[in-house]
Amino acid sequence: MPVQIGGGKVADPNPKGRLDHVAADKDRPSSKRNRRRHKKAAASAVAVAAPCPSLPPVPAMQSLFDTSKEFGIFCLPKSAVIPLHNHPGMTVFCKILFGSMHLKSYDWAKSAPDSGSNTLEASDGARLAKVNTDAVFNASAETTVLYPENGGNLHCFTAITPCAVLDVMGPPYNRADGRDCSYYDESPYMSSSGRDARYSWLKENHSMFEMKGVQMPQRRFLKVIMYRIRSVWFVFGLVNREAKIILFASSRKCTRIEIHLLTPQGLQPMIDVPIYGRIATLELFRPHNETQDFLFIATERYKFCVLQWDAEKSELLTRIRGREVILATDESLFSVTTTDNLYADKRGGAMGDVSDRIGRPTDNGQIGIIDPDCRLIGLHLYDGLFKVIPFDIKGQLKEAFNIRLEELQVLDIKFLYGCVKPTIVVLYQDNKDARHVKTYEVALKDKDFVEGPWSQNNLDNGAGLLIPVPAPLGGVIIIGEETIVYCNANATFRAIPIKQSIIRAYGRVDPDGSRYLLGDNTGILHLLVLTHERERVTGLKIEYLGETSIASSISYLDNGVVYVGSRFGDSQLVKLNLQADTSGSYVEVLERYVNLGPIVDFCVVDLDRQGQGQVVTCSGAFKDGSLRVVRNGIGINEQASVELQGIKGLWSLKSSFNDPYDMYLVVSFISETRFLAMNMEDELEETEIEGFDAQTQTLFCQNAISDLLVQVPFVLNYIFVAFLVTANSVRLVSCTSRELVDQWNAPEGYSVNVASANASQVLLATGGGHLVYLEIRDSKLVEVKHIQLEHEISCVDLNPIGENPQYSSLAAVGMWTDISVRILSLPDLELKRKETLGGEIVPRSVLLCTLEGISYLLCALGDGHLFSFLLNASSGDLSDRKKVSLGTQPISLRTFSSKGTTHVFASSDRPTVIYSSNKKLLYSNVNLKEVNHMCPFNTAAIPDSLAIAKEGELSIGTIDDIQKLHIRTIPLNEQARRICHQEQSRTLAFCSFKHNQTSIEESETHFVRLLDHQTFEFLSIYQLDPYEHGCSIISCSFSDDNNVYYCVGTAYVLPEENEPTKGRILVFAVEDGRLQLIVEKETKGAVYSLNAFNGKLLAAINQKIQLYKWMLREDGSHELQSECGHHGHILALYTQTRGDFIVVGDLMKSISLLVYKHEESAIEELARDYNANWMSAVEMLDDEIYIGAENNYNIFTVRKNSDAATDEERGRLEVVGEYHLGEFVNRLRHGSLVMRLPDSEMGQIPTVIFGTINGVIGIIASLPHDQYVFLEKLQSTLVKFIKGVGNLSHEQWRSFHNDKKTSEARNFLDGDLIESFLDLSRSKMEEVSKGMGVPVEELSKRVEELTRLH
Amino acid sequence: MGSSLGGWPSYNPQNFSQVVPADPSAQPLNVIPATYIATHRTDPPPGQVITTDPKNILLRHFYQKSEEKLRPKRAAPDNLTPQNNGKQPRGPVADGGGQASGRS
Repeated sequence: MPVQIGGGKVADPNPKGRLDHVAADKDRPSSKRNRRRHKKAAASAVAVAAPCPSLPPVPAMQSLFDTSKEFGIFCLPKSAVIPLHNHPGMTVFCKILFGSMHLKSYDWAKSAPDSGSNTLEASDGARLAKVNTDAVFNASAETTVLYPENGGNLHCFTAITPCAVLDVMGPPYNRADGRDCSYYDESPYMSSSGRDARYSWLKENHSMFEMKGVQMPQRRFLKVIMYRIRSVWFVFGLVNREAKIILFASSRKCTRIEIHLLTPQGLQPMIDVPIYGRIATLELFRPHNETQDFLFIATERYKFCVLQWDAEKSELLTRIRGREVILATDESLFSVTTTDNLYADKRGGAMGDVSDRIGRPTDNGQIGIIDPDCRLIGLHLYDGLFKVIPFDIKGQLKEAFNIRLEELQVLDIKFLYGCVKPTIVVLYQDNKDARHVKTYEVALKDKDFVEGPWSQNNLDNGAGLLIPVPAPLGGVIIIGEETIVYCNANATFRAIPIKQSIIRAYGRVDPDGSRYLLGDNTGILHLLVLTHERERVTGLKIEYLGETSIASSISYLDNGVVYVGSRFGDSQLVKLNLQADTSGSYVEVLERYVNLGPIVDFCVVDLDRQGQGQVVTCSGAFKDGSLRVVRNGIGINEQASVELQGIKGLWSLKSSFNDPYDMYLVVSFISETRFLAMNMEDELEETEIEGFDAQTQTLFCQNAISDLLVQVPFVLNYIFVAFLVTANSVRLVSCTSRELVDQWNAPEGYSVNVASANASQVLLATGGGHLVYLEIRDSKLVEVKHIQLEHEISCVDLNPIGENPQYSSLAAVGMWTDISVRILSLPDLELKRKETLGGEIVPRSVLLCTLEGISYLLCALGDGHLFSFLLNASSGDLSDRKKVSLGTQPISLRTFSSKGTTHVFASSDRPTVIYSSNKKLLYSNVNLKEVNHMCPFNTAAIPDSLAIAKEGELSIGTIDDIQKLHIRTIPLNEQARRICHQEQSRTLAFCSFKHNQTSIEESETHFVRLLDHQTFEFLSIYQLDPYEHGCSIISCSFSDDNNVYYCVGTAYVLPEENEPTKGRILVFAVEDGRLQLIVEKETKGAVYSLNAFNGKLLAAINQKIQLYKWMLREDGSHELQSECGHHGHILALYTQTRGDFIVVGDLMKSISLLVYKHEESAIEELARDYNANWMSAVEMLDDEIYIGAENNYNIFTVRKNSDAATDEERGRLEVVGEYHLGEFVNRLRHGSLVMRLPDSEMGQIPTVIFGTINGVIGIIASLPHDQYVFLEKLQSTLVKFIKGVGNLSHEQWRSFHNDKKTSEARNFLDGDLIESFLDLSRSKMEEVSKGMGVPVEELSKRVEELTRLH
Repeated sequence: MGSSLGGWPSYNPQNFSQVVPADPSAQPLNVIPATYIATHRTDPPPGQVITTDPKNILLRHFYQKSEEKLRPKRAAPDNLTPQNNGKQPRGPVADGGGQASGRS
């Protein structure tokens, strides 16, 4: 049961005339009528609702007119029923305002109809009633009047169409006066001659009406897509020494393992392995008789598995998707104690709450260790228990068992090296908070511990880490906060004092254990040296190496290169140098790997007002804190632009064929062509090329080589004039003289419609299906072949994809009429392959291209769809047909090159870059609205730039690196906690703090900082009071005040207080780029959340929700004045608002829904979720559905039950969706990372962005029902083909799971899993397609569309 | 100082030999390796689904004690066994050491 404060009953119904109107569904085949308790207005309230034909029911509003009569307008949606009820002692006037309804009314029978029976009352209490009316009425009908005794005092309505009825009642219902509304069940009256339809038995129904079938489950279907911006912090960087190539690395407490290669160039990423679980421990080990290492993984939900890399396949660097042999997996490690096990047992049966577990999970995290001699795996998962999984002689694992461990507060456990029996050393804290180490031998046969060879009491109070030293030295190093101690079984004891610091990461350098790297909480890297003589440790030495990111893991890789994994900042690859640099550091950073975690907060900023947000996160912690700007899609950074209307085509030309840079830009218009050239000042100016015809539109333009023997390069210009058929020509122009060299004219009566060319070939099509193929030979245009196809030609291409970059042996042609694309051989124009595209939309652009060594045929249609085919460059065969939707307008395709790699640019209303990554085609949108034409324009001044023709404008821009996500880091050197954006002042403001550590004390200083939202330049800073923390920040404006303010909520966090009892609300204005404090208001607690609310300020302060008005004082200044509040929370941490509704995320009482009542100036609770979820974020998806994230890494949705029958039900938020995300979500916000096309289906799907501790940014998209059903089926099909690594179950992984219950995921889909469909091999795709009964092409298209949501 | 630094272990001298330090002003790398998709069987070999001894620790102690009482004479060989077992792993222990030093 949820915790309730003060015993107050939540969701107390408001007794004062709330009119809840009825929605019932009569469309069910069952004739049983649905009824719902219909509460008519009590007392003297007058209910008036605007007649509204729209569905669903409209709650009536109330106002007070008259005490003797009651008015009510009831709006009923179609099929709604107001069940049979009475009007005791009342007179009621009824008038239908619009629509039609069925009315059935009764009066109490005065006499029995059947002489054979005199009774008017049955034994069960039912009374006989006579039918008064049973007919359909509409707005034209007269007003009906029912009287206390006749006229049909009892009646029921059924809406045939949406309708409204006006009721005037007098006197009103009043329980005290005996005028209470009763409801009745009908049963047929049987006279002696059979059923008598004129009468019925009516029996009063006192029970709550059940709502069977009435609910209209307006469910939202949610999909979670997690971006693969994982936190790349490898806690256990593990190196497989033998293979010497593989680094197993993982983000601990995260759900993926990455495998990288060690290469001469550095770390080369190989694969990213999703694990169906949060990884708790990860260890490499080598069982006896094995030639390679195995990987041991245990997850937080008590599963484990051992993985083996297939050595043979792992050498094939590009074919790593090979077999992996899973040696062992564990369904239920704790057969008695885990809920997972019960879940597993119950699989297939009903899911439900499971019994209490016996073990108490460890406070200090799970520990998993492997005996260095591979005799057993040890796990410490629950306090007081040590689990042993023994290996047998063959290296196979045997049945596990538990051993009682006396020490309850365990800080660390390690196996000692070189012991005859497996021996653990345990670092623990006693109940007096003193810390000790103790050793135990594991007696495998007796399944028990035997006291170990030694122990050491009273260690450093901050001792927290054990480092076992390999044989022959043996023993263990104990890392404290002030001392480092070495001890072993021979009573050798060495100690060294250190500067106070917390060291949590170590990495062994030498295999013999004589040197270790230690990383502390300030990011300092030390080298610890064990000096030894003849296998005896003689002393310890510690040396400063330098500063890195704050290390969470340290892995010595090879040749003095170390991987520093960080949870708090970017992970780093560093080199240990022999000589210090100028700053005294021996550490040189070779590479940094982005880590967004922990994302404490973020805001979504739509800078260009394009509907595409970029996310600005508060990332990192302590000195590694930063802001990160995360943007999706590929940015074009405009360098120059000029207004030019009506551009029809765009090409770049070089001044000579061998010139590395482009010189000319040819811009074609409807009736002219203009030439721009780069001048000496690197400016574009208009020029003339004599040999070209500037008075016509150009269809294509290309540099050409002439004959190889002739060393004069030429420029080609194909000219087409639509209205002057005779002027149809192809012109060959000399680059040097700029004069016409040769010309080819189209046959008379024909016009060139489309053309394409490469350096030595020209293909053009004229009307009538004529296709002409020219070659450039000896500076001449030679017509090599001419054929006529049966239909008109819509597009052509002969981009070389073979070995010769100047000559293509294939051409692609798109056709009208039969809507096909054809591959023709060159030079003979023989048909090699014809692919019918289907549909009625003509292909508008075809392109032959090679990306990452794979040849493709791309074919774009006039409606924004794009087909892709794998192309066999020698045979011309097409395979692997896929269709995606890029936009809604015709697309034109063009290749371009960036950093030496070829990509494809698709110009359309939604410009897209098509590129290949890991041999897979990816589509990334470009941050431009509409692009008509594009051509690469690689100049010396701006290399790799693109010329882009937009509506009315020509611009030159450079393009971002071709990758899906772009992350920009703004280092802060302090930790940002809350951020928000203010569009009006073009600023971002955030709360941050800095750690100050002196030798004596630690303190924090908290700030509010202001920066420019475009340049991220710091503008202003406001320092908070000592002990004052910034807890919340928003941008808002108030009623009757046009200014926009930043409001900051704070808390005074005093060391002696458990909960803050004081805080402030600070209201800042941005004036001349500075933060100006306007108003401050003291509060009685921490201001955890702020919201702009109806022109006022809503604050969550400790247990209370408080509303403040913005009041103008006499002196013209403003103040915040408390208006009303709502108590009853444990800690109200998160609030979101929508209209008058407020959703509160409580520390431990899940989600509640409040409403602000304007008239009464009060905030009241409407409903709550009675589950005890500890919330970490909430957001309102829409008016009805709210989403929450809680601290067991789950997310869930609840629904407002506004149309439920009873107050009790209405007071309950119904849980409609549950899902285990496996990530701790710190913030949920509305927004989209991709540009939305308003007229596309995907553009209508609302999305919420979330950010997590692990640095994951993801989106949750609310899908339409039919799409959800389709994708759910796809997901359940995919699970059969895509197995969990380590045989971990996807279903179990995604099941909602916390201390209290485990239940199957519902109404959420795993976007990552669904999208992995696109990574399947063709044959697997076909199997999935067969399972689904949907063609592969359709499946790919729908999944591809999903990928465009993020 | 020089005595402690340097002499870093080398397993493959080629590794990192051509690394060029990143420009400190450059943005950190955001490389995403291909996602691994297991379309092969991932179930373990037979007999390698590990379960935990369901016996309660206390009951296990009782059983063990009662067995010892019933067979007092067998206690001695029982005690010996672990030692015998203990000696066997010596090989591997030495191996382990050898392995460790062999790596450097």
